[in-house]
Amino acid sequence: MTSKSLLTLTICVGMLLLPILSSALETKLSGEFWGRWINETAQKKDASGAYTDKVISNYLSLERGYFGLETKFSESTKARFTIDIFTTDKTHEYQASTINDSTQTTLPIEPATLTTTTKTGSLDGAGLKIKYAYVDFGKLIPVPDMVLSAGMQKVYFGTIYDWNYTLIGKAPTDEYKVANSADLGVTLNGFLPQGYGEYALGVYNGEGYKKVASSLKENTDFAYLANLRLTPIPGITVGGSYMMNTVGRSEALDGGVKNASYEEQNLMDGVVRLAYGPVDVWGEYISKAVKYPNETSSSKTKEYTATGLSIFPIISLKEFLPYDIQLVGRYDTWDESDRIAADKSRSSLSAITMGANYNFLHDEAANPNMQLQLNYTTKKYDEAKSHSDFADGKKDTSQINLQLKWRFSSVIAN
Amino acid sequence: MNNRIIKLSLCLILILSSVAVFAKGKQITCSGSTTVLPVAQATAEAFMDANPEINISVRGGGSGVGVAALQNKTVDIANSSRPMKSKEISQCKSKGINPTAYSIANDGISMVVHKNNGIKNLSVAQIRDIYTGKVKNWKDLGGANMPIVVISRDVASGTYEVFNEKALSGAKVDPSAQLLASNNAVVSSVSTTPGAIGYAGLGYVNESVRVVTVNGIMPNEVTVKDSSYPLSRKLYMYTNGKASGDVARYISFIQSNAGQEIVKKQGFISLN
Repeated sequence: MTSKSLLTLTICVGMLLLPILSSALETKLSGEFWGRWINETAQKKDASGAYTDKVISNYLSLERGYFGLETKFSESTKARFTIDIFTTDKTHEYQASTINDSTQTTLPIEPATLTTTTKTGSLDGAGLKIKYAYVDFGKLIPVPDMVLSAGMQKVYFGTIYDWNYTLIGKAPTDEYKVANSADLGVTLNGFLPQGYGEYALGVYNGEGYKKVASSLKENTDFAYLANLRLTPIPGITVGGSYMMNTVGRSEALDGGVKNASYEEQNLMDGVVRLAYGPVDVWGEYISKAVKYPNETSSSKTKEYTATGLSIFPIISLKEFLPYDIQLVGRYDTWDESDRIAADKSRSSLSAITMGANYNFLHDEAANPNMQLQLNYTTKKYDEAKSHSDFADGKKDTSQINLQLKWRFSSVIAN
Repeated sequence: MNNRIIKLSLCLILILSSVAVFAKGKQITCSGSTTVLPVAQATAEAFMDANPEINISVRGGGSGVGVAALQNKTVDIANSSRPMKSKEISQCKSKGINPTAYSIANDGISMVVHKNNGIKNLSVAQIRDIYTGKVKNWKDLGGANMPIVVISRDVASGTYEVFNEKALSGAKVDPSAQLLASNNAVVSSVSTTPGAIGYAGLGYVNESVRVVTVNGIMPNEVTVKDSSYPLSRKLYMYTNGKASGDVARYISFIQSNAGQEIVKKQGFISLN
């Protein structure tokens, strides 16, 4: 579906929703937009095979835009609809045709001379996805503070579901393609009494919200998720998530031939958060174990386990300064070197980010409507443990990001 | 490598140049419930008169706003006309904030009608029928043949949430209801609309409207304190952990006899 047809669909859905919204208790309109400058330098091989620093990218972008409607139909029933807008659409697939005709003059093209391949990139300069479209039913199940959510919603895995981009950059599980931030599904989620934590159980499609064309999940298996976070004492939170997912069909629909590429994924995540005074430190451990049950080799050579660790400290200076300033940092390691040598995703890397946020123009609840973020990230790949084409052949990279994020929200009471 | 050093230096310079240390003035800040607002303002004035070295800043916004501001560590006290929700407590605790509740007054959410309305009593079931749109004329309740004009608070209000829980059992307010942003607006609107019904904290009720009994019980000192009035509730101040220093002194003052006299003067019910 192109951005244009998705936009048309969005407008149509919006028109259809209007009568419903008019009977709602209240409707909240909210938006968030990120304008970013990105400058990236990486080591690339020159003609002699030696690595030299080269500027890989230097551009401005509307990196993200979210526009949402949250409708409260009653005290226990709410719906949320959010679209995700971005100018750097690298996940959009399209069919590219190449004419294999040396004369380049003869038309119409004979079928034998036309080659069609799937490419990724932006067709029309912008991307548009539905990020959320779900309903929360608060009192359907007679358990206090338990909500049944149905539709395109958050994936309650690791830190991805409450990642609020205090640093520029995705949540670790999103960054390393372990879990998606949103997916179609049904979840039971809620909070434990007295603020002791939160939980979620869910069934999802297991493909996320961005997949299109050939990257769509082709099997009929759902993904299953369990998440628990406990805060036994204020400032100390521990949690764990488990998700079981599959990729590909186990066997062909016609003929029943076993598919050797069929994947069974076991995803685990542990979260620790320590918050005391101005310091807030998160730690996340990720494990992704992938099995290929149909692999014929007795040694199961394709099976692999990837692991990662992220630590992200945030220090808020607003208690000491007349300004709302945060110092932020992040240290990541990600090791996917257990993959077979021929796999282009085989890698081992570490990354460090340092930065600062200046939050200003706060609303009455002291949430900033504007955020200026400056991040410097350096990423190193272990060449011996990574495929030569990993990260497009870039070895070590450094990136500077300057981002202005602005938000708004307005509640329309009926 | 030089390129990287330049970028790193640029970042450090920008970060460090923004870290100019200024000392904040000593003061107590509180925000939140508009119901609690007059009590907080009046007690703050009295407390500052006795303690001129202390400055107390009081703001409204609604109970949810106060709780969010406590979570964001921008206030010392969150005023709330309802208990905090599990989600709010959980969010606070994960941020290292231990929300601690202090009761500062009792209140009864009073059902008010126009002075010329002959209805003197409503049951909780009748209130639910009115607010959910099942009953639309006063004659169905034994009153005059007059359409009922339903006036409610906006759904972000703590008063609305307590009313919704205690009177409506979570049912949806009829879409035709007028949603107003403050207790004052509700009382004012009811006073000028003959068929109107509304609700407000006791401290906001005045002679321009008439209070009806609920299940035959009038909200007053006795019925609110013993909770026999069906729409009785407590008003709270929340702090991060056990209140200490000047904040503790201020809250102790509100809970003292002198503070509770101010609570009464504001039209609310004292704690003891």
